[in-house]
Amino acid sequence: MLTYEGVDFYDIESQLSEDEIMVRDMVRDWVDEEVIPNIEEACREGHFPEEWGQALGEMGVLGMTIDEKYGCAGMSYVAYGLVCQELERGDSGLRSFASVQGSLAMFPISAFGSEEQKMHYLPKMASGEWVGCFGLTEPDYGSNPGDMITRAVEDGDDFVLNGAKMWITNGTVADVAIVWAKLDGVIRGFIVEKNDAGFSAPEMTGKHSLKASVTSELVFQDCRIPKNRILPDVKGLKGPFSCLNNARYGISWGAIGSAQACFHSAKEYTLSRIQFKHPIASYQLVQNKLAWMLREITKGQLLALHLGRKKDDGSWIPEQISLAKMNNVDMALEIARMARDMHGANGILDEYPIMRHMANLESVKTYEGTHDIHNLILGRWITGIQAFTRDL
Amino acid sequence: MPNIAVLVKRVPDTNAQILVSGDRVDLSNVKWVMSPYDEYALEAAMMHKEAQGGVVTAITLGAPECDKVLKDAKAIGVDRIIRVWDDSWSELDSNQTQMALTSAVKEISAEVVYCGKSAADTGAGSTGPGVAERLDWASASNIIGLEFEDSGIEVIVPAASGNARTGISLPAVVSCDKGFCKPRKPNVKGIMMAKRAQVEVLAAEIPASGINIVSHTPPPQKAPGQTFDGATNVPAVVAALRNDANVI
Repeated sequence: MLTYEGVDFYDIESQLSEDEIMVRDMVRDWVDEEVIPNIEEACREGHFPEEWGQALGEMGVLGMTIDEKYGCAGMSYVAYGLVCQELERGDSGLRSFASVQGSLAMFPISAFGSEEQKMHYLPKMASGEWVGCFGLTEPDYGSNPGDMITRAVEDGDDFVLNGAKMWITNGTVADVAIVWAKLDGVIRGFIVEKNDAGFSAPEMTGKHSLKASVTSELVFQDCRIPKNRILPDVKGLKGPFSCLNNARYGISWGAIGSAQACFHSAKEYTLSRIQFKHPIASYQLVQNKLAWMLREITKGQLLALHLGRKKDDGSWIPEQISLAKMNNVDMALEIARMARDMHGANGILDEYPIMRHMANLESVKTYEGTHDIHNLILGRWITGIQAFTRDL
Repeated sequence: MPNIAVLVKRVPDTNAQILVSGDRVDLSNVKWVMSPYDEYALEAAMMHKEAQGGVVTAITLGAPECDKVLKDAKAIGVDRIIRVWDDSWSELDSNQTQMALTSAVKEISAEVVYCGKSAADTGAGSTGPGVAERLDWASASNIIGLEFEDSGIEVIVPAASGNARTGISLPAVVSCDKGFCKPRKPNVKGIMMAKRAQVEVLAAEIPASGINIVSHTPPPQKAPGQTFDGATNVPAVVAALRNDANVI
């Protein structure tokens, strides 16, 4: 089998450091050897293989941008982006696992937690021994988390949580949940553990997308946790939005991985599929599609890399992440749809990765800030006028 | 505790397409990797350290671009990384290579040397036995099994009728075939260690080469295949398989 080398039309590799290339290749090889041969079976059975989570921990990619003091690697955001790209080339569900663990569960502990919380949770989460999840979205509050219903109240030495969260990746298998709830009307972060009384996390079933990923509800019914489980250093929506910025950044790279997988399959298929005596890749209509795919992937790569460097030097703004997440997921979804078309009827079979990526990307377009919400974020940046809501 | 050396070589990816430009191989656009058999040698060295303690030093021969295979070895967990080179050198022949590597092995006072049974580019298979000869050490080649004993090591090597289990006292040079272990993979922490690691550069005294490579030529092109359409061609296919291909 030929070694997968990825699409690199503008020599992006020349802009990467040696350690960034080594990390990318490490994950790329693992995805080729362990994920791609088994992903379709995992999707058919609708489960996330436990050993993949352990392997991510052994490779050290969970929370890999966090300080080495806490058992993490302290690597660059560009390296993290490359990891997301390679994981999502395997499957968006796999990348989602790593995004949730690193950006949504470990990051808030590292950024807003006490030193005791960091030392207690982060090393075990970095190794994959403990799985984390992130509870923000509620059944009636998705794009508008500020109006969340979940509440926490003080009761002696404890907080008592009531409410429900929905669409929570890893919820059922999580050992640690970062839960955002209102305390005296202010959004705060709480660390809830799997066996806390009054906490349950039933799995949501029947998905046609992200089938190799666990999606759950989180239910808090007089859930009692000790007071030292509040994240002390953040109040308000800044907490969850800081986490989402990191996850959305990773998604902007991950989508490139899905797009590359679809492009690669479309190129191979159209070069080998003979119609009217010639490979269909020899026809202008097909070449036009391949050229469009290359164009969009290349633009997405340059966007993600530049954003990554800005993440690393601290000069980024959240709106730049919105643009990258929105653009790259959009182009990946369009490439997946186009690749399905180019594969003809074969495109619907799980012999090819196309339909799986396409179905996954429908979720990725919606989660971590919908496509439309990111447009509104940019609209506010351009005009100075927020268009999220108004009095009617 | 043993002082363990492992010899690693940078070679073109085994899937790379090798082109000949003029009368020389053109390697300007190939992807470079650690020679696959050397990955087994590296694993053997790490297994040795885990069994008996000691220090593992990865040694390569070449210009600065060869540092990458040493960083790969460091990411796996070796303790020291050494590159043997002198800027006045160009391509070295097998004798010169063995002499330069032997010099490095002596320099670090290694007691056991692991290497791949052959490099993926030249396929010569001469480095292990050649280094052993120059050191006047025991030599085990093409091993397919390895165990560690108090007095030395036991290796399994292919023999004329089956496999031979052989005890070897150290010091020794061991060249490794594939299959007896699963080479470990790097992780992010190892890669960060590699990023910070310094490559030690050693020079060596070697004589001038007595070999002059006149030219490189590509292997002959494979003859194009034949296509047969329709059932009426079955006799022709059978005849070709029987008379031309000699497979039936």
